[in-house]
Amino acid sequence: MLGIIASLIDGVLVGLVYGLAAMGLTLIWGVMDVINLTHGTMIVGGMFALYLLATALGMPPYLTLPPVLIGGFVVGVALYWVAVHRMIGRPPLMSLLSTFAVNLMLIGIGTGLWGTALFNVSVSLPGLSIGRYTFPGAHILAAALAALIAGLLYLFLHKTRLGKALRAVANNREAAELVGIPTTKLLAIAVGCGVALAGVSGMLIGTLFPFTVLSGDGYQLKSFVVTVLGGFGNPVGALMGGVALGLLEGAVTPFVPVSWTLVIEFALFVLVLIAFPNGIFARRGAL
Amino acid sequence: MSDALLEVDALEAGYSEVQVLWGLSLKARRGKLTAIVGANGAGKTTTLRAIAGTITPWRGRVVFGEQDVTRLPTHQKAARGMALVPEGRQLFSAMTVAENLELGAFSPRSSHSYAARLEAVFSLFPRLAERRTQRAGTLSGGEQQMVAIARGLMSDPDILIIDELSLGLAPVVVYQLLITLKRLKDEGLTILLVEQNVHLALALCDYAYVIAEGKIFTEGEPARLAAMPEIRRAYLGL
Repeated sequence: MLGIIASLIDGVLVGLVYGLAAMGLTLIWGVMDVINLTHGTMIVGGMFALYLLATALGMPPYLTLPPVLIGGFVVGVALYWVAVHRMIGRPPLMSLLSTFAVNLMLIGIGTGLWGTALFNVSVSLPGLSIGRYTFPGAHILAAALAALIAGLLYLFLHKTRLGKALRAVANNREAAELVGIPTTKLLAIAVGCGVALAGVSGMLIGTLFPFTVLSGDGYQLKSFVVTVLGGFGNPVGALMGGVALGLLEGAVTPFVPVSWTLVIEFALFVLVLIAFPNGIFARRGAL
Repeated sequence: MSDALLEVDALEAGYSEVQVLWGLSLKARRGKLTAIVGANGAGKTTTLRAIAGTITPWRGRVVFGEQDVTRLPTHQKAARGMALVPEGRQLFSAMTVAENLELGAFSPRSSHSYAARLEAVFSLFPRLAERRTQRAGTLSGGEQQMVAIARGLMSDPDILIIDELSLGLAPVVVYQLLITLKRLKDEGLTILLVEQNVHLALALCDYAYVIAEGKIFTEGEPARLAAMPEIRRAYLGL
């Protein structure tokens, strides 16, 4: 019994990081109705940035967070101008295809540079022991950082001028333009923030699990599940969706082989889509 | 300084293949209330959209404050003091009344004396002060129109352009809004009003344009227009 509770708690910890990853996807969707298919690869980008900065340059792993955040933002703005800008206002398939194409290029470059070898960043942090169970320090710290960043994103969206403008663009782009908001610039900023979140979540996941250039697909799919659980275009709901997914993983892992967790996750994904077509915590128009 | 704050010259515009405006010219004089009236589909809303830049004019010029702003993006026109209250309000429906007003003052020109302007807007529309924490989409139609006008005023505009003020509103609400507009005009604001209700528009404005089929059908002082037999027959139902 205690084992299940420990597994659930660890599920919540990892789920918070999944939630952070999904926030990046859902933020972009919420602001401009674009599904960013490079999302998984941007998560992997965060992992490799962590690897390079920590192993090659010898930075302490958690200090790579600020450069990953800033680098992710820059990459996201570039992604907007390359793959998204001309697709705004066109059928959704167009941006799906253009981000898919960029994704293939990035994966090609990644496999060219690093192959598909497994990488690992070791983080040694003291764990927290409760009874017979020990929660890894890296899981606790990653969850805490994910929750912190999610909280900061919430404050950014609701308390700052720029954040409110982003929500306004999400809610009604034409009206935003009419009150003097440079909406195109804001769309670029939104993609920048979305990719920065993906990168940071990748950096945090990189401190938990080993990864390859091709790890992105799995995390992209997890982000979709979390987004559906949390409601499309609702970043705060995404965090709750992440926790829900983490809880589910924590609940099933003690009982079934690892390969079954994905089957159960996606069965749930389909069930939720049937029952709540807009996600469980559906967005109400402005993030 | 020219008498006209906003001048539209031989404007042509439309949507994809369909031309709606066929060389339309008009002026909004400083400190006056200018009305554009006309039937459904005559091109009133398209005129305003082309002025504000939410659609790009095909030909012709839009001059605002002596400067050619025809090709300027909408948000830059807003930053120069042009506020459009669009048809159907277009509020940030999921955000609070206070947030809508705050966003109205987004552009740098309106960052000064924000608190004082908010105070002024609340004294103009006391209802909005009561509802400031409510989400805009949950308000009644009249209250939403108040938010839309208030949001426009928060930018401290030189010209307030209002599309279909009375659309979907009860007559008593429209009457109150018109009184408010009159007050704003008396304080020196230039107003350009598009209105389907010709009676209302002619009762209130200083000068009116009648649009038909994307062109100016006739223009003049409201009293003169109201006396014209074809206007009386076609628009006033007399």
